[in-house]
Amino acid sequence: MPDTTKTTPVPADAVETDNTENGSNGAAAEAEKQPGRLRETVSILLSSKTALVGFVIVAFWVGVAVFAPYLTEYSPFDQDWKAPNKGPSAEHILGTDELGRDLWARLIYGARVVLVVMPVNDNVVLPGGTAIWGVVVALIVGAFLGLVSGYKGGWIDEITMRLLDAMMAIPVILLYLIIVAAIGASAVNVVIAITIVGVPGIARLVRSLTLDIKTREYIRAAETRGESAWYIMFVEILPNTRGPIIIDAMLRIGYAIFAMGTLGFLGIGMPPPSPDWGSMVAKGRAFILMGSPWAALWPSLAIASLVVGLNLLADGIREESMRYQ
Amino acid sequence: MTRKMHPAVKDLKSDMEKGKLSRREFIRMSTLLGVSAFTATQMAGLGWVKKAFAGNIKRGGTMRVATSLQKIAHPANYSWIAGSNVTRQVAEYLTLTDGKNITHPYLLENWEASDDLKTWTFNLRKGVTFNNGDAFVADDVIFCMNQWLDDKVGSSMKGMIGGYLDTTGIEKVNDHQIKLHLKIPEIAVPEHMFHYPAQILNHRTFEGDFLKAPHGTGPYTMEEYREGEMAIIKARSDYWGKGADGKPLPYLDGMKFIDMGTETAPMIAAMKSGDIDFIDMSDIAGTDIFMALKDDPKAQILTAPTASARVLRMRADMKPFDNEKVRLAIKKCQNHEKILALAQMGQGLEGQDFHVYQLHPEYCEFKTPAYDPQGAKKLLAEAGYPNGIEVNLAVGSGWPDVVRYAEILKQDAIAGGVKINIQTMPNSQYWEKWDQVDFGITPWTHRPLGTMVLNLAYKGDENGKPVAWNETKWVDEEFSALLEKANGTLDVEKRRKIFCDLQRIQYERGTVGIGYWRAVWMVAGANVKGLDGHPNGYMLFNEVSFS
Repeated sequence: MPDTTKTTPVPADAVETDNTENGSNGAAAEAEKQPGRLRETVSILLSSKTALVGFVIVAFWVGVAVFAPYLTEYSPFDQDWKAPNKGPSAEHILGTDELGRDLWARLIYGARVVLVVMPVNDNVVLPGGTAIWGVVVALIVGAFLGLVSGYKGGWIDEITMRLLDAMMAIPVILLYLIIVAAIGASAVNVVIAITIVGVPGIARLVRSLTLDIKTREYIRAAETRGESAWYIMFVEILPNTRGPIIIDAMLRIGYAIFAMGTLGFLGIGMPPPSPDWGSMVAKGRAFILMGSPWAALWPSLAIASLVVGLNLLADGIREESMRYQ
Repeated sequence: MTRKMHPAVKDLKSDMEKGKLSRREFIRMSTLLGVSAFTATQMAGLGWVKKAFAGNIKRGGTMRVATSLQKIAHPANYSWIAGSNVTRQVAEYLTLTDGKNITHPYLLENWEASDDLKTWTFNLRKGVTFNNGDAFVADDVIFCMNQWLDDKVGSSMKGMIGGYLDTTGIEKVNDHQIKLHLKIPEIAVPEHMFHYPAQILNHRTFEGDFLKAPHGTGPYTMEEYREGEMAIIKARSDYWGKGADGKPLPYLDGMKFIDMGTETAPMIAAMKSGDIDFIDMSDIAGTDIFMALKDDPKAQILTAPTASARVLRMRADMKPFDNEKVRLAIKKCQNHEKILALAQMGQGLEGQDFHVYQLHPEYCEFKTPAYDPQGAKKLLAEAGYPNGIEVNLAVGSGWPDVVRYAEILKQDAIAGGVKINIQTMPNSQYWEKWDQVDFGITPWTHRPLGTMVLNLAYKGDENGKPVAWNETKWVDEEFSALLEKANGTLDVEKRRKIFCDLQRIQYERGTVGIGYWRAVWMVAGANVKGLDGHPNGYMLFNEVSFS
């Protein structure tokens, strides 16, 4: 393959940015910058109280999710049928649910399902939480659609965006209900639902960033060099959209956790007896009026704290990075 | 006209005197044979309690009922009670089985059974009119019976009465008398006439959709029925039944049914705040309503032990449940004591994996099967599944006790080599495929006689094909023959002997596991008077009033 960078005249101002480098040079430069970036991230975290508080909350939940098996002697499914609906005690620190299952065990294994593992079925478990998978898949699909329609423009843009607009017009919960009712309740289907609901927003964001970036000089340079459209989209444009995308993804993980809670609450999330936070709230709710609020209280607090934590983290990082710029 | 008393009543009385039959059972059986409840009560040596006195009754008021209003069209096709509870205020039944399992005349003046229980004479009440002015006559009853027995209508009544009655056996004697000539003896005919789809319709105006011509003989008229929203009924002034004050019933001005779905928390809150007067719990589990309101001074709760069950049903014509050893293995994975304690909060009786409960008159003493995971494993190995089986269990997520039952079973079945994947779905979706799924949990309502539900769900028609509500498609020749015999056996002791075999066969070879029998409740505001708790959750509200 001819090395086009050597034969094509390149405007001087474009050469100044990393993005005019070809793929391998760019990656090497990225690697060199890693320690600096890590330091930068840590300094952002430390300089923003908001981000720090968010980080601590999120780190707590990720920590208990990762180490769940070491943090409780119970499994989330063990039923102590002589002790249902009990309040906190030395034996069960957060109490038990209506089937006598330990609420602390269910809570942290529930966090695992959200943040650390995705149960495809009872035998296959993928690393990466269900909410994370939902957001990642939505990011991949949304970024692809956004890039293509932003960069290509014309009828491709029109058709893609109008279709995504149509999807955005449907209320989110209704869309979740339709999707999960149609394809059934399982972790994979929850990921599919989160993806379908998340794609239009991400595509819009990436498209608007693409529209802005494609007018930059270095894109002109790449075009002049004769790079393919795919190369320009995925090597030149996409890496430059990462800042807003990372912030958006963090917020989206919060939405995804909320979505999982909603689906579980409506009885169409993970099938029982999965320690799904939403279904724990839904089932526990019936016992609030009977004087046993624990089964509903803890997962509600868990969802709220994790979503708030993610939002604080995203807000803090955004504010700080804007201040840096 | 004097009516002769059925000769079996004498035997029943002697059984009662010897202690073989309880007083309550004596009253139930003798009323089925045409003795009036008053006479039967006197014969049993009990005082007749008059329910209301004119001085206590206050007329007026609109009762607000929390319920779930689904689509209704042909009453004979009802497969859930809440809908019948709205239209039962407008259209009525030939008989009425009260909360104590005693059957009274309703649109019938009285009835008589021949000595061999094969000919039943129904004398219709005179002077009854439909709310459009038409007179109630024998043709209405014959029309309805033909509808029940018509395959095209697809009514569950066909499973109930089709075994002993066909359309040629219905004879009109005159405008107010009909005779039923049964194919085989049957004692429970009057009880069957109160099965909830058996509302009597006006043969002149009914064309398949009750809402288009809501003409019934009941004390109310249908003003509005909006599926999923609300229904309004208003009292009519010319109802045939009279109240304690001598004026026509009902005491209420009307009733308003408000669709509150199947969510119980809003119902509890609405009852606590006085926004509703009654919760129709016929089609919802309601354990949490009971637990939340049992000590609330604003609410009154009537409890009835029932034969209403959540039936763990397995399709006999689908793998792996076509093997009776697999079915028995799954039954052995149930810890009945635990299931009752956790799924139903201990409010009911332990199930025994056949569809007859401990308070059915013909119940034969049976030891509750023990939780036996090792036995289950052995059975599975014998059935050709040495490594166990994996099955999907369909459950409606709107019945929290059903979901709990499924979760408990899943956990306890692991030790028995059965891996259960629970598939939850909205209740409405479950009802769409309740008789199609291979493995699921179906709610079955209470029926006062052991034979009633067995005839509905566990036998074949004359061609050997499963009857309409035989959801597990299980047709067992020996079981069917014994059931026919039981249907025609009046003597409770003799019937009990047959039931010992029926129960054993259904446990060993049958297609259902029954974790528990539910207690059911009626929940009303403290100011509601004249309520009668009913095991089916039927709203018998003609004589209900506000204090």
